[in-house]
Amino acid sequence: MKKLVALMLAAIMLLGIASAVAEDVTLNLWTIAVESDSSYQTFIDAIAAFEAAHPGVKVNHEPTQNEQYKIKIKAAMSAGTDLPDVFFTWGMGFLGEFVAADRVLNLDEYYPAYQEELPVNMTANASYDGKLFGVPYTMSEVVLFANMEILASVGYDHIPTTIEEMNECCDALLAAGITPFGVSGKELWCLSEYLEPLMIKSVGTERLIKLYNGEESWNNPDVIAAVEAFQNLVNKNYFDPNAAALGNDEVKTNFIAGKYAFYQNGSWNCGDIDKSENPAKFQAGLFPVLNADNASLYELIGGPNNTLAVTATTEHKEEAVALAFELGRFMSDADYKSGANLPCWTPDPDAQVSDLVSQVADIAAKSEGMVLFGDNFLSADQANTYLDYIGLAYAGDITPEEFAQGMDDTLYNK
Amino acid sequence: MHRPFSYKLNIFLFLLPALILFVGILIAPIAMSAYYSLTEWNGLGIPKFIGLQNYVELFTSKSINIMRALKNAMLLAVLSVCIQLPFALLLALKLSRHVKGERWYLAIYFMPVLISSVVIGQLWIKIYNPEYGALNMFLRSVGLDSWTRIWLGDKNVAFGACLVPILWQYVGYHMLLMYAGIKGMPADLNEAAMLDGCTPAQVSWYITIPYIRPILRVSVIFAVTGSLKSFDMIYVLTNGGPNHATELPSTLMINLLFLRNRYGMGSTIAVMLIVLCFVFAMLINLAFKEEK
Amino acid sequence: MSASKAKVNQADIPVAQQHKFKWTDVLVQVGLVLWAIICLFPVYWMFTFSLKSNEEIFGANVMGLPQNWLWQNYTRALNVGHMGQYFLNSLIVTVVSIIFVLLAAIMATYAMTRLQWKGRKRMNSFFMLGLTIPIHAAIVPLYTTLSRVGMLNTYWALIIPYSAFSLSMGILISIGFMGDIPYDLDEAAFLDGCGVWGIFLRVIAPLMLPAVSTVGIYTFLQCWNELMFATVFISKEAYKTLPVGIQGLSGQYTTEWGPIGAALAMATLPTLLVYIFLSKQIQESFIAGAVKG
Repeated sequence: MKKLVALMLAAIMLLGIASAVAEDVTLNLWTIAVESDSSYQTFIDAIAAFEAAHPGVKVNHEPTQNEQYKIKIKAAMSAGTDLPDVFFTWGMGFLGEFVAADRVLNLDEYYPAYQEELPVNMTANASYDGKLFGVPYTMSEVVLFANMEILASVGYDHIPTTIEEMNECCDALLAAGITPFGVSGKELWCLSEYLEPLMIKSVGTERLIKLYNGEESWNNPDVIAAVEAFQNLVNKNYFDPNAAALGNDEVKTNFIAGKYAFYQNGSWNCGDIDKSENPAKFQAGLFPVLNADNASLYELIGGPNNTLAVTATTEHKEEAVALAFELGRFMSDADYKSGANLPCWTPDPDAQVSDLVSQVADIAAKSEGMVLFGDNFLSADQANTYLDYIGLAYAGDITPEEFAQGMDDTLYNK
Repeated sequence: MHRPFSYKLNIFLFLLPALILFVGILIAPIAMSAYYSLTEWNGLGIPKFIGLQNYVELFTSKSINIMRALKNAMLLAVLSVCIQLPFALLLALKLSRHVKGERWYLAIYFMPVLISSVVIGQLWIKIYNPEYGALNMFLRSVGLDSWTRIWLGDKNVAFGACLVPILWQYVGYHMLLMYAGIKGMPADLNEAAMLDGCTPAQVSWYITIPYIRPILRVSVIFAVTGSLKSFDMIYVLTNGGPNHATELPSTLMINLLFLRNRYGMGSTIAVMLIVLCFVFAMLINLAFKEEK
Repeated sequence: MSASKAKVNQADIPVAQQHKFKWTDVLVQVGLVLWAIICLFPVYWMFTFSLKSNEEIFGANVMGLPQNWLWQNYTRALNVGHMGQYFLNSLIVTVVSIIFVLLAAIMATYAMTRLQWKGRKRMNSFFMLGLTIPIHAAIVPLYTTLSRVGMLNTYWALIIPYSAFSLSMGILISIGFMGDIPYDLDEAAFLDGCGVWGIFLRVIAPLMLPAVSTVGIYTFLQCWNELMFATVFISKEAYKTLPVGIQGLSGQYTTEWGPIGAALAMATLPTLLVYIFLSKQIQESFIAGAVKG
């Protein structure tokens, strides 16, 4: 009997030790939030909060600069060794390639616990064949930032609401010696921030998705009208003539300094604009509708895209999954409050945000359809071909018809 | 001869480090590249064998447009041979004739070769900056406002603008080789001709240049294969942009590999580059032999 | 060859011709000075703007010496830009590569020139293939292999390929130098009872010191400035070499030129210093590399 008790005691002690050892877990987290990134501090705070809530779990945060991160994560995924437990990713095409290679953990069994806070409609870009593989935390949309002081100087107290009014406004700006739109011609994705809103406002949400999926031919009057409208902005000198030499950061700086009337780009710019001397003079709006038969003003380019995912090979499934979800929840909230992005998780109703952020949130709330950024939607190869064609259209090297033909060669029925 | 000098194990051991490095890092990867070039592969999963499809696509695809990259590389090669080398030769001939401060000139002209292309590229980006760059500022200050350009952003002038620093940087290298060759000539050869009443130009043309033929051959090979392989300066200056106007085979390869995840197609370009380098080196050797 | 012309002898010697004042000489001098200025200008400009504020660079004082010497550009490049780390990484990678190349090249050269065996000529031409192979050729397999064995983002990811790609030139240069060592020395050492290794270590290796500096300098310049492998194989801040680091830094500071100039200057200064003291040896290493090929 004594022996038995002793044995049981020993067993209990062993179990205790074992569980104590098991609790001491280190999770590796890879992100793109390097020191100069606007969400660097948020990540630090989020990790601290997580570690406080889970004693014994340490998080080893390894940030890498955006472009290099893409190479690094692909290399690690391709090798399948030395993978982190949790990693930052973009939705749709980017994460999709890793999911297809079976490198990502399916989150379906864990999701119900968080479903109330993270609505299902936010998870679409991280779901493949109806299965969830990532935790989206922030979403962004393309908005038209406007410098209302400059607009007022040419007699406008609002962002033009029709194409005709927009053209008149731009002509008035040009006559006053002001460049209407700031854009980086060096970074092709910035050009797509101008073309895609025109596209969705010419063909409508459903057809744009079909176009990206290769289910509809690009060779149709509505696509061509959108590209024509885009080239019109160039031909009428509405864009900065120096655009080809400027990077996006320089363009943004110029816009904040009052060099342009408009800057159309992602909603993540709110934070930077709010940091300027007089953020009150800036407003966020939308580019007018091109074809009212097909689309409405509140059909948007954007969607949930900043995502955290768990690798299939992680040794600490429970902890890694908890990290992905809890970090996601924290980041969603914090980025929203700092104006860095819109939340995917249901935000705190009392959250204090800047005017600009609430305008952007308001636009998102009125959304009547959203399509993700084309270069996120498509696979890497297709996305780069697509961006190349946008660059060519911008430079006037191809006609809208040639653009459509090129896109059909790349996507249609492929 | 003596037994230990031919003892097989010793020979093998002496060669071993070099063989491991050379075969493991150069020869084996080339064989692997050749295999990858026949596959469709995004870096994840298993390469799928597709035969010569990549080669067909490489030369027919408009979106890859390898011909533009090759045209750029050939233009660079032609300009190297027709402008850079003659200029380097001119400098070498002048300097080898006991110019005052000969060694100083030599040292200064060679200096750009030693500086990293990244540094030189970054400097030229600043020189070409449309608003604050030295070039446009200079043009404006002498009243040539209409000549100012967005040098690296305008597809019509961007490649020309890239060529200038590339050609400039290596003038000193070729000059040094030729100078060394000229200095290596037996002194009496030149003097005899001078005594003969030949002008310096005649001496250069009839005696010096034929004498340093082997070096000229090396210079031409380096200039041509170097142009085909060229990467650093373009990567820094434009990374192939605007709209791929300044793309070279090497930048295109990196683009396909790491932006488009097309490892198979990237390997196809690598294989094409090896073949081109060998073919051109052989052709140049042949050309220099025939003339003899 | 038209050297036969030189045989004709004439009595009158136009020695004075060389000392006569000629306008063409002046033109030549002007041309040479002009080209020297063109070669020096970017470097001069780099050092001056590395010490200036944006106001001076962008208008107030574009070409002149800095009015206020802003040394904090340098401290910023060091502290924020991690230039010290990049510098150390470049140094480690380069020095280890040089050691590898020297070791492998001199040993292989010994085997191919001093030891008697069939096929050593063929082995030599095999190694010389490496002179024409572009480094691009190996990039995909190296990349995938390195990532598979978890060696991306380590010093080895650069050291091993750098050594391999400098090896052919190392062997080429070593063969030239080893040919100058008299064979009598080997014989004498052999009669003294030295084996193959003894001869190599006690006779040949010490006499190869001049080759060491030539091969070393050549390898140094190949590795110190290499960009393609360094960009692709290294993404971790802690292992970045100078060229990659600077390239990344310039992406972060597009609108602030001063710290970028400081970083560029810091990357260039060591090479320039070495060049000032060793200009002859450096030039010779390049000549040896090309002329003997």
